[in-house]
This record gives sequence, structure tokens and C-alpha cells, in this order.
Amino acid sequence: MRTLAPALLCLFAAACGGDFSNEDLEFLNALPQREDLAARLPSSKEVTGNGTETRKDALGLQLLGDLSELAGDTFKQGTQFNQSVDALLTLLEAIRSRQPTVREPHRRVWGPFSDKDRRGNDVRFVMERDADAFTYSLQYRPSGTGDDQWWTFLPGRFQANGGIRKGEGSVALDLKEARAHGFLLRDMALMDRLDIGYQTKALPTRVELAFTAVGRTQPGTRYTYRSVPNGPGEMVFRLADTDLVPGGLRETLDLTSRWAPDGRGMVSVDIVEGDAKGAKYTECWDISAHTTFIQRNWDWFNPPEGDPKSCPDFSELNP
Amino acid sequence: MSTVTQVGRALALLGALWASVAGAESVHRFALVAGNDEGGDGTRPLRYARDDARKMHDLLERLGGVADDDMRLLLDVGTPDFLAALGELEARARAAKARGERTALLVYYSGHAKDGALRLGNTGLPFETLKRRLADATTDIRIAILDSCRSGALTRTKGARKAPAFDIDSGVAREARGVVILTSSAADEDSQESDALGGSYFSHHLASGLLGDADRSGDGQVTLFEAYSHAYARTVADTADSSAGPQHPTFSYDLAGNGDLVLTDLRANAEGLLVPVLAPAGQYYFVTPGGRVVAELEKSQDQERRVALAPGTYRVKRRLTDRLRIGEVEVRRGRTTVLEETRLRDAPFSDDPVKGALALRGAWWSLGLAGGYQSFFDATTRQSLFLSVPLVGFEAELHDYFRRDWVWGVDVALGGKQAVLTLPTLSGPPYRYSMVNLGTSLIAEWPWERVVPFVGGRLAYLMMRRDFSDAAMPDQHFNMLSPGLVGGVRWQLTPRLNITTRGRAHYLQYNVDAQRSLGYWELAALVTYQP
Repeated sequence: MRTLAPALLCLFAAACGGDFSNEDLEFLNALPQREDLAARLPSSKEVTGNGTETRKDALGLQLLGDLSELAGDTFKQGTQFNQSVDALLTLLEAIRSRQPTVREPHRRVWGPFSDKDRRGNDVRFVMERDADAFTYSLQYRPSGTGDDQWWTFLPGRFQANGGIRKGEGSVALDLKEARAHGFLLRDMALMDRLDIGYQTKALPTRVELAFTAVGRTQPGTRYTYRSVPNGPGEMVFRLADTDLVPGGLRETLDLTSRWAPDGRGMVSVDIVEGDAKGAKYTECWDISAHTTFIQRNWDWFNPPEGDPKSCPDFSELNP
Repeated sequence: MSTVTQVGRALALLGALWASVAGAESVHRFALVAGNDEGGDGTRPLRYARDDARKMHDLLERLGGVADDDMRLLLDVGTPDFLAALGELEARARAAKARGERTALLVYYSGHAKDGALRLGNTGLPFETLKRRLADATTDIRIAILDSCRSGALTRTKGARKAPAFDIDSGVAREARGVVILTSSAADEDSQESDALGGSYFSHHLASGLLGDADRSGDGQVTLFEAYSHAYARTVADTADSSAGPQHPTFSYDLAGNGDLVLTDLRANAEGLLVPVLAPAGQYYFVTPGGRVVAELEKSQDQERRVALAPGTYRVKRRLTDRLRIGEVEVRRGRTTVLEETRLRDAPFSDDPVKGALALRGAWWSLGLAGGYQSFFDATTRQSLFLSVPLVGFEAELHDYFRRDWVWGVDVALGGKQAVLTLPTLSGPPYRYSMVNLGTSLIAEWPWERVVPFVGGRLAYLMMRRDFSDAAMPDQHFNMLSPGLVGGVRWQLTPRLNITTRGRAHYLQYNVDAQRSLGYWELAALVTYQP
């Protein structure tokens, strides 16, 4: 009895503490999640199509009732979009699964940890807060070096708007800086930087991806994804240097692809540069990805094919 | 002259002291009543010394003609406080005497005595010092009643006797002066306590006698002679077969004057219980709802007896050879209740209302179910961190194990509620807040008939967590030891069933976001059962 009581006290004392923290929750709320950044793609298996190799045919020879080639394009681009943010989200999810190592007023630090994937480097994640504004960065340094050697691979910020991950933020991957510190980035060898901007405070939510190629100072490729929860989604992207029609110029296309939760969709292709500049193509498909409506603005002899009412209502994306 | 005759004369003289005390209103009475369960190093704590003092205090106030301002009740105090209170009363008595009043001072002590001194906790008061103090006092009459082991050493001087009853000389009172000392045991004897009686044998029988059992003359007054001889006889009889051997009270005197010495007036406030002439003869016991015998009464045929019970409800027991006769009576303030035999019923011995059978077991357990509420004092904390929640719990308590009226308890309680998180930059996530409260407490109780107030300390181990339904929000927990205080009141519904209301105040150190000192309170109601 005499030894039991102290032993129990020690046991309880060792079991004291925890992670019951309101501020932790607010810090974590400032980090984007997969559902915030990833595109929710059409669910139909049929939309996989054959890909962009047949786009030339698709614009000119797409027949009403055939499987929509552009629906397949939409799914493919959406998949690429998600793959682009996947690495970044995986990093953030790893952070979310751990408790902060350091809790300070308006500051949290995870780490430093020894990076198993890049031996010889320490990694840490630092978040700071100023009222409703949060900034964060994933930083590396060579193991054994001082605090002045930390460099930022992933910077981010978030302006909270009160709700569950409601606000406006941005996050980036500084691939050029990583490469300068000796990191081998096989999957992103042609990029210097990936910037992601997003807003979730109002509907439709919006995510923008901007890819800056190696040696460029400005992003060359942009994707914009907008969506309404349990509603329609939209992907807007530009394809440059595409030989769409015979002639001396190559075309630049702006594609706006939209889809409804049930799998129906609509795509608009605007040729903004090239031999066919000014041409516009619109196509709708049903839940099995078969075209139900086609309109070509350059075909003066044939009226639009199909029923335009078969196209889904996307007014939720235009508040 | 035989010893008995000498004693009789002595007590007759002694009786003269108090004749004027109780019989004549011109005597101004003062009383110092002290009880101390602790005797310091080398002694084991007593169980009932304080209770004996309380009983004597109440009895003197109610029946002994001592005004509240003229009486001091000292519980568990040391010698300096004892002597200071004695000095204060002596001063008041001197002032009364200076006004021309006759004065009397009674000192009652229940507690330890060892090596020629009263042991008040870790402090001692030599017998000789007390005797000299009493001898030097200017009070006309000084009476010391000492219920402590080997207290007979105090009377081992002139006039000391270990004697049974003696004759009384009820002559006309003269203005007597002197010192009388009664002790509960001889110089080589221990004073014994009884769980069945809830007090020491000597004090119990002295008190029972003062309530009426010692009123042999039937005049409604109990004299010192009557009370002492009654307490002597009953104490010797009750302890004759004890393992410690028989205990013999003693007395000594140093008196001038004669007359009778009345200690209590059974008709002082007209309230009590009358056992009429026609009631069957026998030994009657009057038992509190808590199972303690407060008074006994030996009634013979063709005799009316009165016992000056305080207002309250009592169970009455009369023991026959093959069964009990038991019933319940209520004594109302300022009124005399007549005990009617028709209100008693036959009962087997197993239904004995005296709790002694239980108390004799020593330590005992009780089990309880609790319902309550917990809330933190800080508004922000209880709104967004540790929420206010209802509690349900189970408790087990070990009574009278470490010492009498100490209770060691263990308890567990659960609480929880659904809530929605509301923070400056994050609002809306629903979650389940839950709390487990493990605790152990050590409390001291002060039983007062059916009501038992208590206070104590408690050490709790709190386990709090919140589980979010949104998988993106991590579930969180916090565990911490939490010291606190507890207090409340227990009501004894039946000998085995109690209802308790209780409050707790606790300290909690929160150390996740920052170091913060928090406090919380709990209120609860319990139903406890003594198996």
C-alpha cells in the first residue's frame, strides 16, 4: 500500500499532458486539404475516351451520338491537375498527422526531423499567425548546420474567413530553389515553380495552378478549377502551340470544360491564336459521354446539331 | 468509621456545594468543556473524546443552568488554549463574585492522560498544575470531571476514593466552598471507550445519569452524588468483562459546608420523555436514528421516571429475555412526551436499533451512485476548451479505517456532450466532448444525529477528449492530476441508506497552448448504501 500510492502518482504524472489545443486546430485549419485543391472529376467511365490525339477530328468530324472525345480530354486534364497538386498535398497531410514539436504564442513548429528521403538534410515545417492571417513554410537545411541555413521549399499563406478552411490562400513549390540545393526532382525536371492559389470563402470555390517552366520568369501554363460542393465543376486551361487546322500558324486554344455531378458535361473551345483564330466549338454529352449537342460557329451551312436543352445547367458556376 | 460512611459524609459536604448551584438561582455557573482525540506521541487516537465533550456541553447548556456565554467548548486544542479559556472563565467568575454573586466553575475533560499529565494533542497539562489552578481559583465551587486514562492519579491525595454509591446527607445547604474532582478511572486503569455507546463508558453513564437515569429520589433533579454513584456502578458493571478489566471511577474533595449538589434539573425546560407508573419495569434504551444510545433508564414497578431527552426522534428499546420491545417516540421542544407501551412492538434481537453491532465491526464500506455537474470558473475555458458537462458516477467509501469519522473514498465519474467548435478563425466543426474523472479523497465527518457535514481533500485524475466528426480535425485529449477540496452534507435516511449533497473545487494546470492555472467546480447529489 505504501509503495502503491507513489507508484500510482508517478504513473498518473507520466500520463499527464496531451494535445488539447484550440490554437492547434486553428493552425491546422489554415492548411489546404485534398478536397480543397483537388478537382472532383466526372464519375462516368466512358469519359476516358481516346485523348487529345483525335482532337483535330473531334472539332471537325465529331458526330452527334458518338462518344465525346472532348469529354475524355476533360477527364485527362483533370487527372493531370490532381497529379500536379498531389505531391504537395501529400507533404501537408504528413504534417497534419503529427503534433507540433514546438508550441509558442502565434507560432507552431513541426521538427526539425531528419529527412529519410533526402539523407543529409533536416526538414521542418513552420507556421506563424498574425490575427486571421497565417503563413507557413516547409524548410530544409543540411544536417548539422545552423538556423541560418534553412531554405524554403514550400511557402504558403492563408487568410482565414471563419469557417472550416474557409478563406483565401496560396501555396507554391519552389523547384528552382530545391534544384539549387541539390535536390533531384525527376517528375518536375522541366519546371522551376508551381504556384497554387485558391479561395474557399465563397461559392464557387476556385483553384488556380500556374506552372513556370525552367528558365522562364512567368507561368506558361495555367489551369483554373472551379466547383460547387455537390454541384457542377469547371476546368479552364489553355493549350498553346497546337496544329489544329492546315496553315502556316499553330493554334492556341482556350478550353472551358464543365461537368455536372451526374456525369453530363459541356466543353467550349475558343481558338484565340493561329490559322483558325476566332473559331468556337461547343459540345454537350450525356451521362454515358455520348454527344447530345454540337455547335460550330464556322459552319454556316449546317445548324447546330442535337438539342441544346440536353446541355446541363451550369448557372451555379456563374453567380 | 467505615470507608463508606466517610465517603458518604464527604459527598454530603460536596453536595452542599451544588445545592445552591442548581437549587438557588443566585449561583452563577461557568463551565469549561474540552475533548481531544489526540494524545500525541506514544498514544493511539481516541474515537469519541470530542463527542463526549460535545454531549456534555449540550447537556450542561440545556439542563445544567450554564449560560452559553459562560461556557467554552474546546475540541482538539492544546494546553495553551485550554489554560487561556480557563483563565477567561476564572476572570468572568471573579467579576461575578465581585458583584456579590456566588460562583461555580465546572471543568470537564475527555481525552488522553499519561505520565501524570493530561495530554492535549502534543501538549501536556500536569495533574498538579491543574489541581493547583483549581485550588487557587477564587470561585466558590470548583468541580473537575476528568474522563481520561489513569486520571485517578489526580485524586490520589486527600479525600481520594475509589468507591461505589454512598449515603447522602440532604441537610440544609450552607454556603459551601471547595474543590471536587471526579475521574473516570483509577490511577492504574485505562478509561475505555465503547463503539456500541459511541463514547466512553464513564461519560456515557454520567450523561445518561444526568439526563434522568441517576435521579433515584425522583425529585426531578440529579445531584453530583446521584450522578457519580450511577456512573460508578454502570461503568464498573459494563467494563467488568472487558479485556482491559474493570474500570473504577474515583473522586476527591476538599470542601467546607454541606447540603445537596444538583448538577441537572430535569424540569428545566419541561421537555423530555416521561415513562409512566404503569409502564412495564425494565431497562429502557433511547437510541438516535443514527443508532447511538443517548440515554438509558432503569424503571421499577410503581415508579414514574423521566428522561430529559433533547427534542428529536428516538427509537425506544426494552430488552426482554426472549425478544425486544421497540418503538419510536418524538420529543418536541418544550413539551413532555409520555411513552405509551402500546406504541412499542415485539421484535427479534436481530432488529436491535442500536448501531453498536455495526460500529463494532470497525471500518465499514459504503457504495454510492452520483449525479452532478462540472464547470470551469473561466468563461472562455468552459465555452471553447473544457466544456461544462453533466456527470454520472460511482463511488466507494471506506469509513473509520484510518480513524473514526475519517472517510477514504475512490470515485469515478463520466460526462460528455455534443458541441460545435467556435474559435476566432474556425467555427462550425461538430464534436463530442467527453470527460472521465477518477478521484480519491480523504474527508473528515462531524456526525450530528442524522446530519453529517464533512470536508476534506481530493486528488483527481481528469481525462478529457474531443472527437471531431470531420476527419480533417484531429481528435484531441488532455490528462492531468487535479488537487481540490470537497465539502458537503450527508443525510442518513435509514441506518444503511444516505443521501449526500456535495461540492468540490479543484485546481487544474493546463499546459498545451500555454501554462494556465484553471479552476473548476462540481456539484453532485449521491445516494449511498452501506452493505
